[in-house]
Amino acid sequence: MKVVVDPVTRIEGHLRIEMDLKEITTDTGKLYIVGEARSAGMLFRGFEIFLKGKDPRDAFFFTQRICGVCPAAHAEASNQALDIAFNAVPVPPAATLIRNIIQCAYYIYDHMIHTYLLVGPELGILCKHPPMIPPVLGKDGMTKLGLGSSYAKCIEIQRKANEIIALWGGKFPHHACGYPGGVTVKPTSERISGTVVRAVEIWEFIAKTMIRDIQAIIQASETVGEKISEILGIDVRGLEDIGVGTGYFLSYGMLPDPENYDDWLKIAYGEKGRRTSAVIHAGAWDGNFKDFDLNKIQEFVKYSWYSDEYSGKKPNEEETIPLMSKPGAYSWIKAPRYDGKVYEVGPLARMINTFGLKWRIPRVHPITGEDLGDFVYEVRNPKGSVLDRVVARVANTLICANKLIEYAKMLVEYKDSSICNYKDVPDEGEGFGLYEAPRGALLHYLKIKNKVIERYQCVVPSTWNLSPRDDMGQPGPVETSLQCGTTWLPTMDVPSVCSAIWGKDYGDLLRRALTPLGLAELNMEPVNGRKFNTTIALLIVRSFDPCIACAVHLIER
Amino acid sequence: MRLSRREFLKLVATMGATAFVMNHKAEIVKALEEVKDYWHICWLNGASCTGCTISFAQAADPDIIEILTGITVGNSKLPIALPDYMETIHPASGWLAEHLKERWKRGSKGKRILIVEGAIQKPGYCMIGGKDFREHVKEAAEYADHIIAFGACACFGGIPSSRPNPSGAMGLQEFLKEIGRYDLAEKVVNIPCCPGHPDHLIITLTSVMLGIELELDEHNRPRIFFGKNMHYALCPYRPHYDMGIFTTKPGEEGCRYKFGCKGPEVRTDCALRKWNNHVSYCVQVGAPCIGCAEPGFPDRFLPFYVPVTNERPFFRLDPIDLGIISVGAVTAGIVRKKIKKNGGDQL
Repeated sequence: MKVVVDPVTRIEGHLRIEMDLKEITTDTGKLYIVGEARSAGMLFRGFEIFLKGKDPRDAFFFTQRICGVCPAAHAEASNQALDIAFNAVPVPPAATLIRNIIQCAYYIYDHMIHTYLLVGPELGILCKHPPMIPPVLGKDGMTKLGLGSSYAKCIEIQRKANEIIALWGGKFPHHACGYPGGVTVKPTSERISGTVVRAVEIWEFIAKTMIRDIQAIIQASETVGEKISEILGIDVRGLEDIGVGTGYFLSYGMLPDPENYDDWLKIAYGEKGRRTSAVIHAGAWDGNFKDFDLNKIQEFVKYSWYSDEYSGKKPNEEETIPLMSKPGAYSWIKAPRYDGKVYEVGPLARMINTFGLKWRIPRVHPITGEDLGDFVYEVRNPKGSVLDRVVARVANTLICANKLIEYAKMLVEYKDSSICNYKDVPDEGEGFGLYEAPRGALLHYLKIKNKVIERYQCVVPSTWNLSPRDDMGQPGPVETSLQCGTTWLPTMDVPSVCSAIWGKDYGDLLRRALTPLGLAELNMEPVNGRKFNTTIALLIVRSFDPCIACAVHLIER
Repeated sequence: MRLSRREFLKLVATMGATAFVMNHKAEIVKALEEVKDYWHICWLNGASCTGCTISFAQAADPDIIEILTGITVGNSKLPIALPDYMETIHPASGWLAEHLKERWKRGSKGKRILIVEGAIQKPGYCMIGGKDFREHVKEAAEYADHIIAFGACACFGGIPSSRPNPSGAMGLQEFLKEIGRYDLAEKVVNIPCCPGHPDHLIITLTSVMLGIELELDEHNRPRIFFGKNMHYALCPYRPHYDMGIFTTKPGEEGCRYKFGCKGPEVRTDCALRKWNNHVSYCVQVGAPCIGCAEPGFPDRFLPFYVPVTNERPFFRLDPIDLGIISVGAVTAGIVRKKIKKNGGDQL
């Protein structure tokens, strides 16, 4: 029997998840978990095809439109590929600072939206943390029960973060200020002060509310684990034993040091390294810190709707020919692998490749100097899990909030300096842009011939995470996590599961809130006349923050 | 102060939509509260990047939370416009999500709004719930009382339709015409830009709920937003143009015309309204306008950094394109005739 969720909502794009039901027997009886799982990207647009033959500078605008949720990351990766192809490196410090400010503000928006609007509802409901449950009872529920207080505040704060991007980039989504070798926007006092004013309010929300919320989830996770263990008769500590991954983590690094841009550039030219001068480091963690090596990336297509001819090639060598009717294939997404192994990318990969398994992030108020105490976290499951992924995302947000104000202050000293290492469009050139999107490691590759784009290629984070099986038969990270053995598919509905964990009152409250909205059967998928609750499966999928528009694209010679 | 429909329309027209939204947030909320029935919204995403959804989440006056939760209908406690279906933010997934779309179809007549984000492609490139997106759109359009195409892709094909348009992406109106539904195509209100502007959508939604007809231009864009030329009527850098001071490289002050700004060929109110709570817009940060409010974007305005009068793409058209254009002209002629026959306004 197979449970299918299509569409998976509250992600970017069109995703289909298929899970084979596996019946297991424990002390407490028979129950269903996920056996094999397959994830499939369901939209194809063909970006690399229409980039061919265009002015290289247009790539900055085009590639942002790969994804309107993470456009700024594509902008930055594209810009860095262009910087190198135009031989316009190093980028002047003022330009790096401005780009870093945009990236910090943008990460804050993106991680916040995901934490509260996309993955948050299941987390809030399952962990009984009212501020993260969507405001399903309207204003009344918000004031009386605190339902959705953080959810609603998040909308306001993410908007402020995006106002900072608009100050520098003109608008968000799809900002406009990038240019090969730098930026087009000047660091005026007005922009700097506009940034700081907003950044302080944003910092307070993150350092206080967001950290409080995630600590509540970490704590509640233990209770959820205890109860699930009791019900299922299998040993689950909490959300750290749900959605267990491969233990391999890949990162390209983010937020370069404006004064040490040369160190940042090395790995993009093929040298091995970890970009340790940047705030977030590059690396290929396999239980220990390992240097990143661009030459170890390959993309496989045995189970994707593309011709097998170029399967296993490197990003700058491969060509892709769509084959919609290919037998055995089940996704538009390809299967990138590092050193032939299945690597997870994303916030957890960034944190582990930079700080290892124990993190300590300061929380000192940028204006008053008040110390709220460090945010400390030790990775619960070194293979990766739902809990570790969502905590890493919040930790990453706090780092960006700290850095945002620091960069804005630094920029004051660069007010009159150059913003662009200007170069004309070259006849020929090529370059890799290696950056971190919120969802993980993002690669852009560009080759210029006769002043136009000859080849453009992206290997994006959701391609790594949502990838189908590769030619060796290894399932992708999301597939691995779904079939890790603890993905319980209850036949009880969401309020009943919550009653079982937190008591009848809470279950009844949820039922009262969900029923008038037509959501009483939330996450229940019908199979052969029975219904299965896919909440835990969806929580696993969403913990990766899937972005399918990004994951699917195409290269042509 | 309580606004009547007539006053609302008058104010929007005289003050310009930007100033209106900024100064009359409370009145918009009140006006919406007066609406007695629950509105049903179905928000479909096709070949999109979801940027328009994210852009809608940047709405400030009133903000999206107020719209979705704060403004309830009478004593029902139901939000006035909770989307019955919206992939990116909706609680439901899978079977239930599709089921809620059916509920939307059964919503009270005259109250069903369809918002489409993203382009429509050739068959097979976008599948949702095991069904081609083309079918989803066609079915929803049949039931919709009001249809809004939000963002450049849904309006005119946008970025994925760029040459050679590998997945056959096109705008909603073009798709509806392709399947012979000129009657539905005529209903579409186009709100372009890449992404669509949240103010544009909220004002359009408000006007729909209040039964106010917005005047549309020849591309079905509301004139209050897309009635003025950016360069000639609205640009704050216009004095630089008149004095012959031009930006040619990043960092230089001046009119962005020689840096590729497409303002002279674009009708939109970006320079006035600006983006993200009215903070800034593309030209203000030293970049050129890339023409995302116009049909033909992006190809009509490429390369983005080359001035509009130089090497216009029109002169580089090959015979195949010219063929397409003449077919297009004939089709447009047929459409106009058909609509006249049906007693509609001009297209």
